[in-house]
Amino acid sequence: MYTIMLIINWSELSIMTENSKKLILRIALYAGEILLRNGAETYRVEETIEKICKSKNLKYVNTFVTPTGIFISDDRLDGINFIKRIKNRTIDLSKISQVNTFSRKFVENDISFEDALSELQQINKEEKYPKWLVVTFSGIASAFFALLFGGNFYDFIATFFTSVIVTLSFQKMELLSETPFLGNTAGGALIALLAIISKNIGIVNSIDMIIIGAIMPLVPGVALTNGLRDFISGDLISGVTRVAEAILVAISIAVGVGSILELWKHTLGGSF
Amino acid sequence: MIYLKQFLFSFLSTVGFSIIFNVPKKSIFYASLIGGIGWTIYFHLKSVTSSIMFALFIASIVIGILGEIFARIDKKPVTIFVIPGIVPLVPGYGVYLTMLNLINNDFFKFAKIGTETLFSSGAISIGIILVPSLSRLLKSKKTLK
Repeated sequence: MYTIMLIINWSELSIMTENSKKLILRIALYAGEILLRNGAETYRVEETIEKICKSKNLKYVNTFVTPTGIFISDDRLDGINFIKRIKNRTIDLSKISQVNTFSRKFVENDISFEDALSELQQINKEEKYPKWLVVTFSGIASAFFALLFGGNFYDFIATFFTSVIVTLSFQKMELLSETPFLGNTAGGALIALLAIISKNIGIVNSIDMIIIGAIMPLVPGVALTNGLRDFISGDLISGVTRVAEAILVAISIAVGVGSILELWKHTLGGSF
Repeated sequence: MIYLKQFLFSFLSTVGFSIIFNVPKKSIFYASLIGGIGWTIYFHLKSVTSSIMFALFIASIVIGILGEIFARIDKKPVTIFVIPGIVPLVPGYGVYLTMLNLINNDFFKFAKIGTETLFSSGAISIGIILVPSLSRLLKSKKTLK
């Protein structure tokens, strides 16, 4: 009699936890997805997922995170699996910070699962800075870079306008095509074109400073460093993916800039 | 005077990148401060020791330490401050130049600039990974006692 009671109890418990277990895994997956889409490091995504699961008594959770996808499963029980494919990644540090606060709150307090999911949805929907502000400030960032590498006042002005135009067109190109490579090639070509034009009008003495400055928002310096950082912390597949992406982006920019420069030098016979 | 100029330029440039990376409004000042200080230290060490890798390594360690400090003051994860902070240092132009030389068939320059870029990037990433792991080590020692 006693054993039967026990069996019934146990089965009820497992039915009850089946649903909540799925919910916890879904919350963890959603948090991880937001982190990864907005440029968090691989170890941070894995840590957050494991922390969220362990705080709600899911002790045997395994996660495998690469920049292109998240895999979560529970290796002891009933084979619940979640896979999420991540197609594009940007850098949005505000969202990373908010998910971090959320996960800390979720681990320490008792938040109902519905509230947690809706809070994550709110974080995901949050607006960035307005577009005109981003465009203006990428111009400012580029222009000061040109000064940092030894440009003069005229380089500063020319770089500011070049970068504003390139960022505007890059944002439009991003809407048109899925892959970043078309936008990067077009951006590189536009930078070279504008640099040559402003050299020939007589605003600047050399095209180098404009190219160095205006190229800065496009080039994958941070991506390369993040890739090597993943290598060092032991996430080898993430490291390979990020470094390869950085190299491909750099190639597409170089193709854009290089082809315009070659065209100008050899076909049109212009000088620098 | 020249240091002040370098600090100002890198500070303002990092402000721009903080907006691009969507850093929360309150943290923009801290992030830009890190960018400015990191670049100024790099600039000084580069002219004193004439070793780019060493200068980058020390500068990124300083960036990591400042990131940890500001993360505790502002109660935000360290990444928020470190990613904009390393932007003036990371060899973005180097990556581009490497690939430009590759498609221009200049393999000697490709190898030279490519290696330099890879090692610069490596120095920065080791520098910024060293500080959090050391601070974690200190914390775990405290809790063990």
